[in-house]
Amino acid sequence: MSETRFLSREALKALVAELVASHTAVVGPAAAGGPAIPGLEDRQPPTHKGIFGALEYREVHDADELRLGPGMPRLSLKQFFLPQSEDLFSWKQRGADVEITETPTRFNARVILGAKPCDAAALEIVDEVMNWEYADEPWNGRRAASTIFSLACGVEDLHCFCPSVGVTPDSTKGADGLFTPVDGGWLVEASTDKGRAFLEAHAAHFAEPPSDAGEEGAAFRAGALENVSENVKIDAVRVRDWVDGHFEDPFWATLGIRCNGCGACTMVCPTCHCFDIVDEEEGVGRGTRRRCWDTCQASKFTAHASGHNPRGDQIARYRQRITHKFAIYPIKFGEVLCTGCGRCVRTCQMGQNIGEILVAIDAYAQERAGDAAAADAVAVGDEKGEA
Amino acid sequence: MQELRELAAQLLRDGAVDVVVGWEDSPRGARPIFAVTPEDAGKLIFDTRCLHDLATYLNPRRKQVVDLGKLALVIKGCDAKAVAGLLREAQLTRDRVVLIGVRCGGVCEDSMAPAPVELTPETVAPRCHGCDNREPRLVDHLVGEPRPEPPAPLLSLDERVAALDGLTPEQRWEYWTAQFDKCVRCYACRQICPLCVCERCVADKSRPQWIETASHPRGNFSWNVTRALHLAGRCVGCGECERFCPAGIPLAVINRKLQQVVDERYDYRVADDPEVTTPIGDYRLDDQQEFIK
Repeated sequence: MSETRFLSREALKALVAELVASHTAVVGPAAAGGPAIPGLEDRQPPTHKGIFGALEYREVHDADELRLGPGMPRLSLKQFFLPQSEDLFSWKQRGADVEITETPTRFNARVILGAKPCDAAALEIVDEVMNWEYADEPWNGRRAASTIFSLACGVEDLHCFCPSVGVTPDSTKGADGLFTPVDGGWLVEASTDKGRAFLEAHAAHFAEPPSDAGEEGAAFRAGALENVSENVKIDAVRVRDWVDGHFEDPFWATLGIRCNGCGACTMVCPTCHCFDIVDEEEGVGRGTRRRCWDTCQASKFTAHASGHNPRGDQIARYRQRITHKFAIYPIKFGEVLCTGCGRCVRTCQMGQNIGEILVAIDAYAQERAGDAAAADAVAVGDEKGEA
Repeated sequence: MQELRELAAQLLRDGAVDVVVGWEDSPRGARPIFAVTPEDAGKLIFDTRCLHDLATYLNPRRKQVVDLGKLALVIKGCDAKAVAGLLREAQLTRDRVVLIGVRCGGVCEDSMAPAPVELTPETVAPRCHGCDNREPRLVDHLVGEPRPEPPAPLLSLDERVAALDGLTPEQRWEYWTAQFDKCVRCYACRQICPLCVCERCVADKSRPQWIETASHPRGNFSWNVTRALHLAGRCVGCGECERFCPAGIPLAVINRKLQQVVDERYDYRVADDPEVTTPIGDYRLDDQQEFIK
């Protein structure tokens, strides 16, 4: 972290105006909305109301649109780096001649203000797979073009569990800096060279922090961490090891039984990144290849051309969701593929609760480990007895 | 509640069923429970948060539920209509399931509330307005005390449809374009629908690709219009598609409009009697046909 600066509410307005005037897109949490027609106001199911769903990340043109306070946007930041669908290239074919027009992978500058720390952290985690054996140009292009300042989170509700998966409510993972709310504005710190360059380029808007702001900010951050720490108490390593070693365990059947396979959890998840590539024809001999979000919760995801499906029921598909996040990815990349944002819990209308499931797996693993140790002890005792 | 729990425990103890599917309380409000032991049956609840249409678990696509064996299902009157739909369309045989009906006084819209919600015009689910089936008939057991009629909602589904009908075609187009623009194509609406029973959905077919996968306006319109039309005259109005939509698209309004059209043209309202045929599965000499030219 570098030197702490202060951005007042008025200065934020001027900063956003300056960015917009210089053709830098400004994205942040703003009120979710649609066209207002009497009787047809954009309707939120009650379960989407309150802290969840009243906001969405979108491009804003004025700081007054930003909602830099409590509340979690319905969808994560993922859509700004891996859009729901994006063109990869288009083609025209005449006989044997095929003309390909690639979609540019350089993007205009963009600043994201007020990212949830869990959403920014997800980007850094997904960077791993996007640069594993193949560097994903559209993803990397959008990452390079974006400067991200997270907003220290006050913790939304009991379904937040970021510390259980290695993130904190004031994490700068995946971000270039952090805003911490204090009286009259925000304390701002840069955590990367990109963030420092941004603060320098717009230095006029940032001031010396008021004398007691440091203490206020620190208290806010400490309070948030304390609030969230008790929500989901697990040992992520023990969960990983149990999941990795118990693919066929009957316990899975109890974990996925009520799941409908609707996949909404994967759509709202900041770290789920699976996609489907489709060729869409747009007239004779022409079309566009696109990639679109896909979900491991759909049976079609693993359907083979032969008709066989290795994940033949929802129990197997739900096991895949847990296994990929809490074993496969950590083993391959050293990071849990989850940032504890809790969106999947708040979204699931059937009450699948990943926090509860992780706690259950951890308890089951511990219990089994205890049983195994006891059995070993008995076995050792028997051997001694025989000797 | 005690009556429900005792009945469920008895069915499990007697081996009449292998599992009882009903509702339980959880840190995230009411949710489905798969009770396999008499002790599990003690967790069953029924209150105004139990708005899930559990008939969706009878859908033959749900292999993991079929594998559990013989089911008892706790149903409200609206859920009974979905069970009737499955029987009518030969997706279910009556002997596969024991139906435990609950007398219902309406449900709220928030299954995730921490405690039962008192029904007021603000909280009641709009679909409960004018319900004609608060005591399901298609049942093996009926439990609970008779409950009073639910209050009228602030804004009924019919009023929402009327607001839409009052617009010009251009305004309606603008409205639905904005709504479908939010679609993330997760197909949660299809997955939860108790009557979306196709083994292979048209949206999943790729040779040819009837419905484009990408979430551009063309793909989103194709999907949402196709979904709605495939349920015309079949949709029971349980509202689960709208509730499950992570994007908040008002799907119940589309379904209600289609119910109105089917009622008007074919004098058909969905019922919990599997013997009543649907307009799509029936032909009558006096069917209106002036649109065939």
